[in-house]
Amino acid sequence: MKYTEIAVVGGGPAGLSAAITAAKYGAKVTVIERNNSLGGQLRKQTHKFFGSQKQYASVRGIEIADILESQLREYNDNVEILNGATVLGLYEDGVLTIEMKDRYIKLKPDRIIVATGAYEKFLSFPNNDLPGIYGAGAVQTLMNQYGVKPGRNVLMVGAGNIGLIVSYQLMQAGVNVKAVIDAAPKIGGYLVHASKIRRLGVPILTSYTIKEAHGKDWVEGATICKLDENWQMISGTEIDIDVDIICISVGLTPLADLLWQIGCEMKYIPELGGHVPIRDENLETSKKGIYIAGDVAGIEEASSAMVEGRLAGLCAANSLGYIIEDFEEEKQDLIEQLDSLRAGPTGEKILNGLEKVTKVIAGRYGYVD
Amino acid sequence: MLIKTGVPDIEDIMEITPPKRRREKGPVAVIECFQRIPCNPCYTACRFGAIKEFEDINDRPKIDYDKCTGCGLCLTVCPGLAIFIVDESYSEKEALVKIPYEFLPLPEEGSFVIGLNREGKPVCRAQVKKVQKMKNKTNIVTLVVPKERSMDVRSFSMKDYDDENTIICRCEGITLGEVRKLIQEGYRTVDEIKRISRAGMGPCQGRTCRQLIMQEIAKFTGQKMEDMLMPTFRPPTKPIKLGIIAGGESDE
Repeated sequence: MKYTEIAVVGGGPAGLSAAITAAKYGAKVTVIERNNSLGGQLRKQTHKFFGSQKQYASVRGIEIADILESQLREYNDNVEILNGATVLGLYEDGVLTIEMKDRYIKLKPDRIIVATGAYEKFLSFPNNDLPGIYGAGAVQTLMNQYGVKPGRNVLMVGAGNIGLIVSYQLMQAGVNVKAVIDAAPKIGGYLVHASKIRRLGVPILTSYTIKEAHGKDWVEGATICKLDENWQMISGTEIDIDVDIICISVGLTPLADLLWQIGCEMKYIPELGGHVPIRDENLETSKKGIYIAGDVAGIEEASSAMVEGRLAGLCAANSLGYIIEDFEEEKQDLIEQLDSLRAGPTGEKILNGLEKVTKVIAGRYGYVD
Repeated sequence: MLIKTGVPDIEDIMEITPPKRRREKGPVAVIECFQRIPCNPCYTACRFGAIKEFEDINDRPKIDYDKCTGCGLCLTVCPGLAIFIVDESYSEKEALVKIPYEFLPLPEEGSFVIGLNREGKPVCRAQVKKVQKMKNKTNIVTLVVPKERSMDVRSFSMKDYDDENTIICRCEGITLGEVRKLIQEGYRTVDEIKRISRAGMGPCQGRTCRQLIMQEIAKFTGQKMEDMLMPTFRPPTKPIKLGIIAGGESDE
């Protein structure tokens, strides 16, 4: 059995930010990351980020990954990084079991920060198992991390930020984006992202859904169909599109397996993408010593994931008794950063969701004494 | 409608258009950011205090056109690629438009491209005046456009404007670009080009396109027109219904 003070599960924007902050204040941190590189989704984000300077606005995601990784390496004495390591289980005594390069490791931390991120939702429609139908995130990984062009002509299903950004990146890779469709009557992603692909000639069709995919051995086409105001297909409005790739980008849902395993109190909050844990303002869940940050706490942007990570790292280190002179000030600054990122119309939904799961948790129990 | 299609309405554009007098004075930033989102790099990048301080990070940028020098710093940092620099002082009839560009290859300075509007539709021929490679990989392409298009051109296609907009075969809708591409690929006679593209197989039977295709081949290969191979002529001389032949006189 290995021991550590803080285990951070996930080396994406939230996890790295949490580890940097906790290590900075002296805590011994173990970062457990499934991939062989750190940075998570940041590694494939070739676009410039929004937000303000504190969240690396205008810096490309892939460069933010490098920045965070080098910050983490500054605290090498306090940090252990397990790459290529997947957490398999979180047990009630607070032990994490890990598979790392065919080895089985048990780790007993004093605190755990779960920053496992999210996974892509899928859609049901006829022939949706044909080769050539991908999650948009998967296509982004293929292109931007492995250098593989997925196909020639793409239908993008979903006009949220991921659908719009991946469409743009597909075009940068020389792939033809035939259309971006969305069942909602409005574009869900940032309008600047929409305008960016629109002026390159890509039609964005709102109130449209995919009716079916065609093809024998792989995708050879798709039929899309207009929806009425009750989200029902209007017969006669079908359009056949000649594509060999269909990208599904209909949202993310928190990857919360470990939180379920240990019995954190969970609640279904559609605004946050699905089931999320109840937490207090320190991002501690209903289980003592288990903190959360990033998409697992509710689907949001990477900028807020990084701030949440810092907040969870700060609070976890503080709870271990590390002396943080300006703790209250630091914490307040992070909370204010989150408030301001969420203050606009796009943050309204997030705030509505958070209101239902953020509360003072009294009589918390867990494996921590 | 912007929220449905990604294309801003005319009212949206009016709101962010710098006054004509200012545009004619020299370069100025046009900020096409229509939605409150948490983002402020344009403000933090501006060295001239032209973009006013944000009270809330979700504020839309407000710009003082008198302070703006059109330097373009905001254009390169904007994560939404929503800022353009327009300069109507360039010449009597032309204006400069600076466009953030994140595609490769970059266009060549001096080359002609197709100016696209906010819908991606071609609106004019534009010349690439300058290409600035930036460290952050949001490069800046400066286009010379007709002055009346300065608030219209927001993107471009590297296809040649002439190639795309010149029809060689009107019956079958074959463009100059398509014909040039075929010649480059090795199709060097009217007949070959006809068979691969259908140019010349429509109602006019090649009377519009034949000479034009031969000219293009001659130009490419350096041959003289008199040396060009003529296509094979076969009846009928105009498209007719099969029934006319079927119902016609017998051979006897």
